[in-house]
Amino acid sequence: MSQYKAVNWNTPENDYVGMFWEQNIRQFWIDTEYIPSKDIDSWKSLSPEMQECYMKALSGLTLLDTLQSHTGMPKLLDHISGLQSKAVLSFMCMMEAIHAKSYSTIFTTVASTSQINDVFDWVQNNKFLQFKATTIDKQYRVLDKNKVTNEELFLALGSSVLLETFLFYSGFFIPLWLAGQGQMVASADIIKKIVADESIHGVFVGLLAQEVYKKLKDPEASKRKLLAIMDELYENELKYTDEVYTDVGLTADVKDYIRYNGNKAMMNLGFEPVYEVKDVNSIVLNGLSVETTQHDFFSKKSTNYEKATAVTHLHDDDFEPDLSLPV
Amino acid sequence: MITKQWILLNNEIMTKKDDEFSLHKDKEAVRSYFLDYVNKNTVFFYTLKEKIDYLIEHKYYVNFYEQYTFDEMKEVYDFVYAKKFRFQSFMSAFKFFQSYALRDDSGEKFLERYEDRVVSVSLFLAAGDVQRALEYAEILINQEYQPATPTFLNAGKLRSGELVSCFLDEIGDNLSGISYAIDEAMKLSSIGGGVSFNISKVRARGEAIKGVEGRSSGVLPVMKILEDTFSYANQLGQRPGAGAVYLNIFHNDIDEFLDCKKINVDEKLRIKSLSIGVVIPDKFMEIAEKDDVCYLFYPHTVFREYGQYLDEMDMDAMYEQLVSNPKVKKRKVNARHLIIKIAQTQKESGYPYLFFKDNANRGHALNGIGSVKFSNLCTEIMQLSQVSDIETYEKEDTIRYGISCNLGSLNIATTMENKRIKEVVKTAMRALTVVTDRSDIKMVPTIQKANRELHSVGLGAMNLHGFLAKNYIMYESKEALDFCNVFFMMVNYYSIETSMEISRERGIQFEGFEKSDYANGSYFDKYISNEFFPVTDRVKELFEGVEIPSPVEWEKLKQDVMQHGMYHAYRMAIAPNQSTSYIMNATASVMPVVDTIEVREYGDSTTYYPMPYLDNDNYFFYKSAYDMDQKNVLRLISVIQRHVDQGISTILHTNSKDTTRDLAKYYIYAHKMGLKSLYYTRTRKASIDECISCSV
Repeated sequence: MSQYKAVNWNTPENDYVGMFWEQNIRQFWIDTEYIPSKDIDSWKSLSPEMQECYMKALSGLTLLDTLQSHTGMPKLLDHISGLQSKAVLSFMCMMEAIHAKSYSTIFTTVASTSQINDVFDWVQNNKFLQFKATTIDKQYRVLDKNKVTNEELFLALGSSVLLETFLFYSGFFIPLWLAGQGQMVASADIIKKIVADESIHGVFVGLLAQEVYKKLKDPEASKRKLLAIMDELYENELKYTDEVYTDVGLTADVKDYIRYNGNKAMMNLGFEPVYEVKDVNSIVLNGLSVETTQHDFFSKKSTNYEKATAVTHLHDDDFEPDLSLPV
Repeated sequence: MITKQWILLNNEIMTKKDDEFSLHKDKEAVRSYFLDYVNKNTVFFYTLKEKIDYLIEHKYYVNFYEQYTFDEMKEVYDFVYAKKFRFQSFMSAFKFFQSYALRDDSGEKFLERYEDRVVSVSLFLAAGDVQRALEYAEILINQEYQPATPTFLNAGKLRSGELVSCFLDEIGDNLSGISYAIDEAMKLSSIGGGVSFNISKVRARGEAIKGVEGRSSGVLPVMKILEDTFSYANQLGQRPGAGAVYLNIFHNDIDEFLDCKKINVDEKLRIKSLSIGVVIPDKFMEIAEKDDVCYLFYPHTVFREYGQYLDEMDMDAMYEQLVSNPKVKKRKVNARHLIIKIAQTQKESGYPYLFFKDNANRGHALNGIGSVKFSNLCTEIMQLSQVSDIETYEKEDTIRYGISCNLGSLNIATTMENKRIKEVVKTAMRALTVVTDRSDIKMVPTIQKANRELHSVGLGAMNLHGFLAKNYIMYESKEALDFCNVFFMMVNYYSIETSMEISRERGIQFEGFEKSDYANGSYFDKYISNEFFPVTDRVKELFEGVEIPSPVEWEKLKQDVMQHGMYHAYRMAIAPNQSTSYIMNATASVMPVVDTIEVREYGDSTTYYPMPYLDNDNYFFYKSAYDMDQKNVLRLISVIQRHVDQGISTILHTNSKDTTRDLAKYYIYAHKMGLKSLYYTRTRKASIDECISCSV
């Protein structure tokens, strides 16, 4: 009979899991905190092509977040041994579900029901999107058993990183690009929260993948397999980009951006960059920065605030500060 | 849709080459913005005459011919254009054309350049006096003074909003009072005003209505209605209204009030866009310090017992009595925990503002007329207010004082460099006075009454950090304290002098002047018994060639004021001025900068803004506010506050790792140093890169 263990946070599993737990909690948010209704006028000012591009990009993201929350995270955490790491993954899993819903929050606010229905139909029938989902899902489904090999686990973790750090960005491009120019800014607040989450998800899963990688018998062979998956996804991503972005004339910029993020995914996995990247559109690159920005509280909600995780109380001597002044 | 070249160039500032930002890209962005956008979209006129006539005929401008001849106008235009004004950064140009420049009715073509706006404002304010118009034009085109947005945006336009945008009022504790406030919120919001209410008089949840216990639903539902009202009245969709509410910390609904900013709270109780502030009397801080048991009160039971509102009581005198009176309903809490709860709410949302009520009333020169009970959306307006008695249809209302304030800011750097403190302050005070005189908000009688009788204005300042950095002075240094102590004393002096002169010219004083500390002369005591000259060598140099008022001059001013009175009940207030500081290529207000290149998010754009005069030599002096000990910032504000009759918008800059206790210690320090308020708390997030680099 197997023994069941309770998660013991008193003994850190490794030197980073506690920190990721903290950071995840701090970043917690829900979609309804934000006010996409401020974008209604901006939405109406966009050309029909731009609206369609935006809807497609976001619905593509919805599919990926759905996959990640319904299959990816649950399968992975089943085979990760550390109980604290499992806890972090399950928190991330919940956030993925919030992400998947939050795109709908934007749609529901700005688009009509028929537009929304059309775009969800499009998701189901678009072969490039379906290819993305199938390719990643296949790696997750391999874990549908009690015992898995290290290689299988590594490929699933690696695929998850590819999804988080690489495949999402063809979708993030358009909201960040528009927001940098003053369009759909309130909705971009939601997108920025998602970007911030996905960035820690990619780093965390990447670290787990690196640990498994060290245990592999033939690491080079496994790495080749992962790179082969990446190649397939990359080719598919280029075609997907053509389909979504050609009408708005941004295809070349998006492709550069995809390569840039592909290299970031490699870094998260501890590998060298694989793509040659020219100049990435600086508006979108700056939009990626998750650092604190200045904003005016009256015109928008900030993305800067976080859950106060550590509440510490006052002491008597806190009431006796030095009040001296030299002038 | 293709990328706009100027936005791309502005974004490229952030691309690092050899470890340095590409600052020259900003100049290229300005150039591209003009060549590729502004010039192409500006209506061209062959002559000045053609331009002026067109703007008047097509109902863009008021008919200036009623007050000026063409030659007089031309003199002002020529004077301004001869100054060869150029925008120093993309942000300045972009903000001006985006938000201030007059456009044709299609909204597509510009009808004004910066110079034209300056002339329009000057002609309008001078009302036919060319000499005055030239004086206004000079301080504006020199960028020594900047009127607040509503004035700068609207002055001279025929079809325009109001010139004033900051209003405050009390809410009475009955349906008529609440309805009046909602009506007021809607009307003021529709003309572009930010409105702040004191809701401390509204009875708490569970109190009696018409003597039946347990029926009141407290302050939250009133806030909810106000929030929706503000977002409804949005100036023809231009911008959503903004509002704030203040609640006294002894009010029993304070927990609910703070929780409304929590993210996972029921929709009915969640407040997203309304700003909130807490009114904190000394008594509360004293209880927290002693760690005594603290009581919160049900305000309606207090009113029924004493016929006086809880938030208007002197809590030092009344607190013990309220505690021991069994008819006053109350609840026990831990004061320190309540402070920590405020800190926690600030960490999660930036709110609430804090208003230290007794600090605001200590030294308040109008205590003989009334006391200051709360503040505004930006926590710099601090004036007396009185709750009006709003009646049902058949009875006459008793209208008392709301608060109306129009603002403007000196640019410290240009004013100091031109050695024109006296001239600039005096001209600025005149400009602010015109705005007060021209404003008459008839649809809200409490606001109208305050403006008519008190003529309040708020002269502030910007570009403090920019000025200090340009002169290689650290913001946290003794020299900075020394500079502010002298500079703001002078602003105070000349603003009083101008107010006295206007009163003397017109024979009109603000209502109740004779009951003020200006009339009995006690306001001037500290200036007559102390000298405010520079003490450090560096600051002495900065003031070289500038005459600084001594106690002798102050004594003279005191005599003049006692004899001739003053026109303005309130004169100074330091606003956070955001948009206007960008136009001026200045650092905002008297706050330290957050970064050498600021990433600025507006509702409609993201722009990169290098700090004014930034180069390799002064880089070091632009230390980020997030890297400063906040006590040093608060200490500097306390020095400025000595010379400001109203308040100063003071932002706390904290980091993710700062605990609730750290924040609470700043509140305690600010309170003890005599600060009247704290505005937002901003938090710099820890990024995961930072975390990883220190732990993995």
